[in-house]
Amino acid sequence: MAITVPQQRVATGRAAARRTTTAEYLFVVPAVLFVGFTVLYPLGYNVVQSFQDVGIAQIVNGNAKFVGLDNYADQFGRPEFWKSFGISLLYTGGTVLATFVAGLALALFFHRDFPGRNVLRALLLLAWVLPTVVSANVWRWLLDGTYGLLNTVLGTEIFWLGKPGTAMVAVMLASAWSFAPFAMVLLLAGLQGISGTLYEAARIDGAGAWAQFRRITLPLLRPVSLTTVLLCFISTFKTFDTVFLMTQGGPGGATEVLPVYAYKLAFSFYKFDVAAVATTMLLVVPVVLSVFYFRSLRKEETA
Amino acid sequence: MRRRWPMTVAGVLITFVYLLPVYWMLNTSFKKPADIFATPPQLVPLSPTLRSYADAAFGNPAIAKGLANSAVIAIGTTLLTIAIAVPAAYGLARLRLRFVSVFLMLFLVVQMVPAVNLALPMFAIFSDLGLVNSYAGLILANASLAIPLGIVLLRPYFLSVPTEILEAAKVDGCTTFGAFVRIALPISRPGLITLAVISFLGAWGEFVFGLALAADEDLQPITVVLAGLTNAFGTRWNDLMAVSAVVALPVIAAFVFLQRYIVAGLTEGATKS
Repeated sequence: MAITVPQQRVATGRAAARRTTTAEYLFVVPAVLFVGFTVLYPLGYNVVQSFQDVGIAQIVNGNAKFVGLDNYADQFGRPEFWKSFGISLLYTGGTVLATFVAGLALALFFHRDFPGRNVLRALLLLAWVLPTVVSANVWRWLLDGTYGLLNTVLGTEIFWLGKPGTAMVAVMLASAWSFAPFAMVLLLAGLQGISGTLYEAARIDGAGAWAQFRRITLPLLRPVSLTTVLLCFISTFKTFDTVFLMTQGGPGGATEVLPVYAYKLAFSFYKFDVAAVATTMLLVVPVVLSVFYFRSLRKEETA
Repeated sequence: MRRRWPMTVAGVLITFVYLLPVYWMLNTSFKKPADIFATPPQLVPLSPTLRSYADAAFGNPAIAKGLANSAVIAIGTTLLTIAIAVPAAYGLARLRLRFVSVFLMLFLVVQMVPAVNLALPMFAIFSDLGLVNSYAGLILANASLAIPLGIVLLRPYFLSVPTEILEAAKVDGCTTFGAFVRIALPISRPGLITLAVISFLGAWGEFVFGLALAADEDLQPITVVLAGLTNAFGTRWNDLMAVSAVVALPVIAAFVFLQRYIVAGLTEGATKS
């Protein structure tokens, strides 16, 4: 276990450093190997599968045949795939918008200094950490058509999860509810970075609350806002559990986002090959976005 | 600042409204079957009962098994995460290694990978290795995302350990490993607790890996069992909310007892790179 190096005390400077360095890599090597085996290898495996003919037989026996771009041609030629892709973008767009607006509102409120604010901020994070199965079930109950609390409050009898349009709004709402406290934390950090003297100066110049918000808060919060939006986009775009648990992609495929679509291809129809195409596409969008994000960051830094 | 207390009242109100779904879960779980459909709805259970907890949450063998499975998986994931992530975080924080930024980037980027993207190929890979339908497979899958998160989360704690203390320990005859165990670990205790809590809760609430890698009902985590029972429960919302509350219990308990650790961990992993 412990690597005892008694000579180390005698050895001078550089030699000692060199000898320890080799052993010191043992601190990091297990983690790198582990991530290699459980993340990088599966990701690569997935890409390879997307070029093969893989059904349940090949999963059990191996020896899958390469079929070139057949799986990609198959998926890109299917309206279901593009429908699911569009639904994913719509769901992600709506959720990110709602998350950002709610997160910003919460951040602006809890940025003010008042007794108990830290406890309340922390409590809000409960929504984010709650297991998805729990929050999805609670939302299903709140949105129940006959006895749900939302219908009681609104005085309506809407089967929220039974109709395409409202089901989409419902999964967006439930997802945004979970993500908004997280957005709040990021945006609070951004707000803390804005100097209070700017607001004082603005007040002296006669700027009202709205003018201060538009002219100071929003522009100076831009970098943090961009990061928040990107992180929310990435986590929403890959969301499987909330949607699967609330609607299973229904009704009639109206909420079948790409992760749910891919999962069903693999585990309901045992088409692991085309499912791999769908999951590969699931990686492409966030990667492209991140590249644009880092480019715009660099541009802003050099400008 | 005379206007601060009204702010507190408003803050409590906002927080309560925001967490209304959680309150409604608890409220429903203590109601009698007939009372959940009362109009207008009872804002507090008028004749509270623990029946749903006794019958559904703890009295149902399938659910008890699911809870036990989740406990095994979550504890296993936590131990594995600590064993691998702690030394790595220390190495990347305090040892003079090459490629530190490359490794850090790797661990950071890897966290963005969708769980579905891992669950599908893992099913094929684990089938080969006989790891499908096993605790080991589920623990490995959960740790795949917990370990990178743990490293990113823990590194700042080790960065705050002064190098001088570590150098001094070495001068006094400590090995690199000794300095890590005897100096850095005790100082970073809050970080270690945070890591343990976060990785436990992450694995406890995990759904996708359990769904994809444990078709065997005897090994399914509570999240998958609960999802499977949802249809069987039908309109027994009181029972469903009681089971949900039990699944949420470790999270709520962690919030009550370990709040500062949790909050630090949740925010640090995300904001510091």
